[in-house]
Amino acid sequence: MKKNLKNIIEALIFMSIDPLTLDKIKDILKEFSDKEIEHAVEELIDSYSEDKRAISIIKASGGYLFATKKEYDEYMKRLLKDEKKQKLTREALETLSTIAYHQPTTLAEISAIRGVDATHCLKTLLEKKLIKIVGRKKSPGKPLIYRTTKNFLIYFGLNSLEELPSKEEIEKILEEKYGDN
Amino acid sequence: MERSEGYQIKLEVFQGPLDLLLFLIKKKKIDIHDIPIASITKEYLKYLDNKKNINLERESEFLLMAALLIHIKSRILLPRESPDEEEQDPRKILVDRLLDYKNIKAACKILREKEEKQIKKWKRKNLPKSVPFQEIEFMELSLFDVAEVFFKLMKRQEKSHIKFITGKDFSVKEKKQEIINYLKDNHYLDFFEYFSKQETVEESMVSFFCLLELISERMVTAVQESLFQTIKVWLRSESNT
Repeated sequence: MKKNLKNIIEALIFMSIDPLTLDKIKDILKEFSDKEIEHAVEELIDSYSEDKRAISIIKASGGYLFATKKEYDEYMKRLLKDEKKQKLTREALETLSTIAYHQPTTLAEISAIRGVDATHCLKTLLEKKLIKIVGRKKSPGKPLIYRTTKNFLIYFGLNSLEELPSKEEIEKILEEKYGDN
Repeated sequence: MERSEGYQIKLEVFQGPLDLLLFLIKKKKIDIHDIPIASITKEYLKYLDNKKNINLERESEFLLMAALLIHIKSRILLPRESPDEEEQDPRKILVDRLLDYKNIKAACKILREKEEKQIKKWKRKNLPKSVPFQEIEFMELSLFDVAEVFFKLMKRQEKSHIKFITGKDFSVKEKKQEIINYLKDNHYLDFFEYFSKQETVEESMVSFFCLLELISERMVTAVQESLFQTIKVWLRSESNT
């Protein structure tokens, strides 16, 4: 029975397009106790982390999803003709992290923080579905308001916005980089 | 084109005026909380001087920062109106922005590492979509959205550099019927595809107006799967006679 549960969860994750959360699994599998489910999920993840598997179960955006292991990157690129696998440009990444830390935010705010106009970057990020428009601000000009998406979390392997680099992590980087300041 | 080239190289190095200032501060080993405005302004202007021409459109931000630096310096020099007034350090506004930007840059470094790690792990979510037709979630479009796609198309047409000589006139009425007939035969019409078949700007315009009219007459319905994608047009079922 227990082994069966593990398989059921495996199938659920396999069929989910969005990362499957623990709550959702519990909701679907009412006949099993929370503890049983949590245990089975752990076992399942463990069994996938073995070397002989090419696929692993990772946690992102608060849920579980399948991902190929990094060793197979090269082959996946060939299979999928390298689609969408360009890294973000420096500008785009800076704009994106500005939005991530200051959201909800507007074009004017983003541009002010970076000291550079961000119009072009926003377009790129919208196309990549890393940010979304959530409405208009009730201020002069009614500027659009931007937020990061669920896709953003998955892209960086984060579970929630709370997992963005913390103040401490940032300070550590700054010490390394600007030790003399 | 030629004159902006020298500066564009620089732009790749510095992400903007704040980035350039941070670089100078680091290079001169300056305490960010106690910036000697005069000397940093001098350094900053020296960088700007290196290019013979400034492309205002692209580099106005650098000039704006130069103006801010000089403004700060002048405020430091000028006596205060009332001596007992506790005035804030005029440099504070700049320091706050620099610190804020520095944090963003550091966060970017961490995020970049995460990106590099994640980008090698392929997820099924990244796969190109091949969802069965009925299951696609559509969103209802405003005329504005349709117009936007149209302008995009016109731009694309421009790029193809095809020139036609034609004396043909297009009537809205004929074109409307043509679209309706097309829809009857083909179930739906792919906006991008349809317009790529139009030969002239004039013809494209006429068919676009027809489409707008058909939408406003509620003869057809137009949906777009997501932003920046093609628009699909159907006959409304009640007019399907």
